[in-house]
Amino acid sequence: MSSCGNPSTESDALMSRRPKFDKSKHCVKCKVALGNIVIRHAVYCKECFFSLVAFKFRRALEPFVNAKPDGPRRTALKPAGNLLLGFSGGLGSTVLLDLVHRSYIANRKDELRRDGGKDHPRHDKVWKRVIVCYVELCDALPGRKDKISEVAEAVAQYEGVEFVPLRVQDAFDPLWWRCIYGEDAVSQLRINLENDELTSMLTNPLSTNPLESLRSYLSSLPTSTAVCSALHALTRVLLLHTAAETDSSHLLLGTSLTSLAISLIRGIGQGAGFNIEQEIQEEWLSDIRPPNFDSNDRANENQKGVRVIRPLRDVGLKECAFWAWWEKLRIVGEDRTGWPDSRQEIGGLTKDFIMGLEKDYPSTVSTIVRTCAKLSPRGEVSGKCVLCERPAQEGVQEWKSRISVRTTAQSVDATAPPLPAPLQADNASATRLASHLCYACHTTLTSRSARPPPPLYLSATKTSSTTLPVWVAPRIMRKVGEDEMRATVQEFLIEE
Amino acid sequence: MPPKTCALCSSARAILKRPKTGQQICKDCFFYVFETEVHNTITEAQLFKPGDRVAIGASGGKDSTVLAHVMKTLNDRYNYGLELLLLSIDEGITGYRDDSLETVKRNQEQYDMSLKILSYDELYGWTMDAIVAQIGKKNNCTFCGVFRRQALDRGAAILNVDHIVTGHNADDIAETVLMNIMRGDIARLGRCTSICTQGEDTIKRSKPFKYAYEKEIVMYAYFKKLDYFSTECIYSPDAYRGHARAFLKDLEAARPSAIIDIIHSGEAFEIKEVVKATQKIQQTCKRCGYMSSNELCKACTLLEGLERGMANAGVTDRARKKMDAEGPAPENLRIIPFFQQPAAPHRTDISIADTST
Ligand SMILES: [Zn+2]
Ligand SMILES: [Zn+2]
Ligand SMILES: [Zn+2]
Ligand SMILES: [Zn+2]
Repeated sequence: MSSCGNPSTESDALMSRRPKFDKSKHCVKCKVALGNIVIRHAVYCKECFFSLVAFKFRRALEPFVNAKPDGPRRTALKPAGNLLLGFSGGLGSTVLLDLVHRSYIANRKDELRRDGGKDHPRHDKVWKRVIVCYVELCDALPGRKDKISEVAEAVAQYEGVEFVPLRVQDAFDPLWWRCIYGEDAVSQLRINLENDELTSMLTNPLSTNPLESLRSYLSSLPTSTAVCSALHALTRVLLLHTAAETDSSHLLLGTSLTSLAISLIRGIGQGAGFNIEQEIQEEWLSDIRPPNFDSNDRANENQKGVRVIRPLRDVGLKECAFWAWWEKLRIVGEDRTGWPDSRQEIGGLTKDFIMGLEKDYPSTVSTIVRTCAKLSPRGEVSGKCVLCERPAQEGVQEWKSRISVRTTAQSVDATAPPLPAPLQADNASATRLASHLCYACHTTLTSRSARPPPPLYLSATKTSSTTLPVWVAPRIMRKVGEDEMRATVQEFLIEE
Repeated sequence: MPPKTCALCSSARAILKRPKTGQQICKDCFFYVFETEVHNTITEAQLFKPGDRVAIGASGGKDSTVLAHVMKTLNDRYNYGLELLLLSIDEGITGYRDDSLETVKRNQEQYDMSLKILSYDELYGWTMDAIVAQIGKKNNCTFCGVFRRQALDRGAAILNVDHIVTGHNADDIAETVLMNIMRGDIARLGRCTSICTQGEDTIKRSKPFKYAYEKEIVMYAYFKKLDYFSTECIYSPDAYRGHARAFLKDLEAARPSAIIDIIHSGEAFEIKEVVKATQKIQQTCKRCGYMSSNELCKACTLLEGLERGMANAGVTDRARKKMDAEGPAPENLRIIPFFQQPAAPHRTDISIADTST
């Protein structure tokens, strides 16, 4: 239809351009100092800017620190576990680390010294441990420098903070997984990406070369968009399981208002509308039991829940940049080297689009975030997606086959391509992964474009099947250990 | 390279690559999947009942020309039992609508459907040419959109139909999802992906091409040799929508499923109950009886602004207040005829309705 053929064209919500800032040169907050920065038309002085950002940070975080979200009046902060901070070395997470340190580590020490009373209960640390986790992508993307030691150095600037470096290939490493969940949880699936049902089966013996598995996985993906979103998802889930491993009740991410708006639109562009809520804030529960798990211990069970919070969700990219500048923070990461061309990839296109739009219509990012915060998922949850570990909507496979007819009646049985040999070998254990995936992950694995992505690695050989991340198989086919069997039949066993 | 065989029937030679799935298929299989997907859309949403009188909003452009053909084909093939009619709106844009109305008239003969043409001039006393002459090219899409929507409903009432189908395609809907998020239009966001909308007292309106790609609609017209006119409006569209459209095209190029993926996203969320409670409730316009979220409907507000020489009154709140401050509307103001619901016999049971407006 022509542009005005759409009845929803109405300009009552038309964006209008406004002058860069309102008339006064003085800070809107203290009204005394001369302004140093303009934030969405309002002028602030440096001092007031710092307290504004710190206020926004606490407002987005503190009501969610206690297990039961607080009412308006703040009670004492008593998180159920430690704090894990996902650190990419980019602007957002660098500022986040600075704010966390300033609010919960440095300040506390100052207070202790001032009041002298070390035993005073008010001065208990909010977080027993603050752990910074960095996931190194250099082995996944060509031409990137390994920055683990640089990041370690940057993190070491802050006392009272632990550092956990990971490599993205850990997502394919049975040893890494075994450390967290024990021997019983270790199994691996191989998947055939040639068909939309995604036939998959157990890998036997285990693939013990994580780097090779990672590269084969990324090389098998059909689009550049898929490569980028797979890397985001691998990083995210690595952080979640690290949170579980470190007994963290909270995982903080340095997503700014601007990057949140970008990731919301990026998610919508990839069919992840059902997970808008998780993109803003997420409650994640590991459903893999750690080896020392005691099913009678309620407290232990609660501890495995992780709340993912983005405390900079109200702070724009520009504000982050000013914070980093005035605090003289070093941005170690922030580097697009090796990532697929942003013009070929939904995430990159979305970023360029939003950043461009924000120049002309400065309220765009906050409008996007505000709008998305008013949405909730529609329809039933069929379970947790085995790949991204977010709630999956029921009926997506039926939806897809209704909306895009990919077979005609006569072609279904007669001409369906036979399963490739390696997957036929042990048909008993073959599953259709498609039914365990959310819409967006299924799209990541199956949706093609006219041009396949350029090869990431010179050496990568395209195989008909590829190993999946270590968290997939245990959720589909779990080996049931002796202890668990015993627990199930416990009451029927007669004590010897 | 040897000729590729069709990925669907494996017998005929593939002559096209489906924009939606990338599959290489033959012409007959393309017709089959295209029509079947529209049929799936219609049956899944239970849009019609046998005996329904259905008006096709026909502009002579590609979407509605193909829609008329597909509706006729499916109605015959699957015995929907529908009585199909054509309804055209003449906006009064010189050199823009004249040719495309010829297409509609030809469809009327080809498909043996009755046709009603309703003009803005007849209904509002203003042609789009006259409106643009007064207000310039800025914001004219606001007028056109509001006036067309109401004109379709009124035309449908005159024809006494149960249902209007329009040619909105998947690209339009995906674009609207993005627009509504970026503009924060939460009420529209909540309903823009529903296949069928029906307010308290308006006629059912649905979009059978909701999942049909614009490129495939053109492809269908091309292979079926259906001719149509470009209905790209000669007056400039709004810039913000233009950005959203260009962005969507980029996403589609990166990954063709993006259009359908965005629509899926839009269907996978809804407005939180607490937010819904704060939305304006729907009422009827005190002047013309059409549904409205204010005392006066959008069309009446726009028309009053035009008549009183304050055209922006319907566009911005500030201009609206300014007009109100200049006193009430004069007695002799030209107004839209009062809206009367058609007394349709089938309108009592509603198979699918989204009344969350
Ligand atoms: Zn100040
Ligand atoms: Zn998923
Ligand atoms: Zn064929
Ligand atoms: Zn009215």
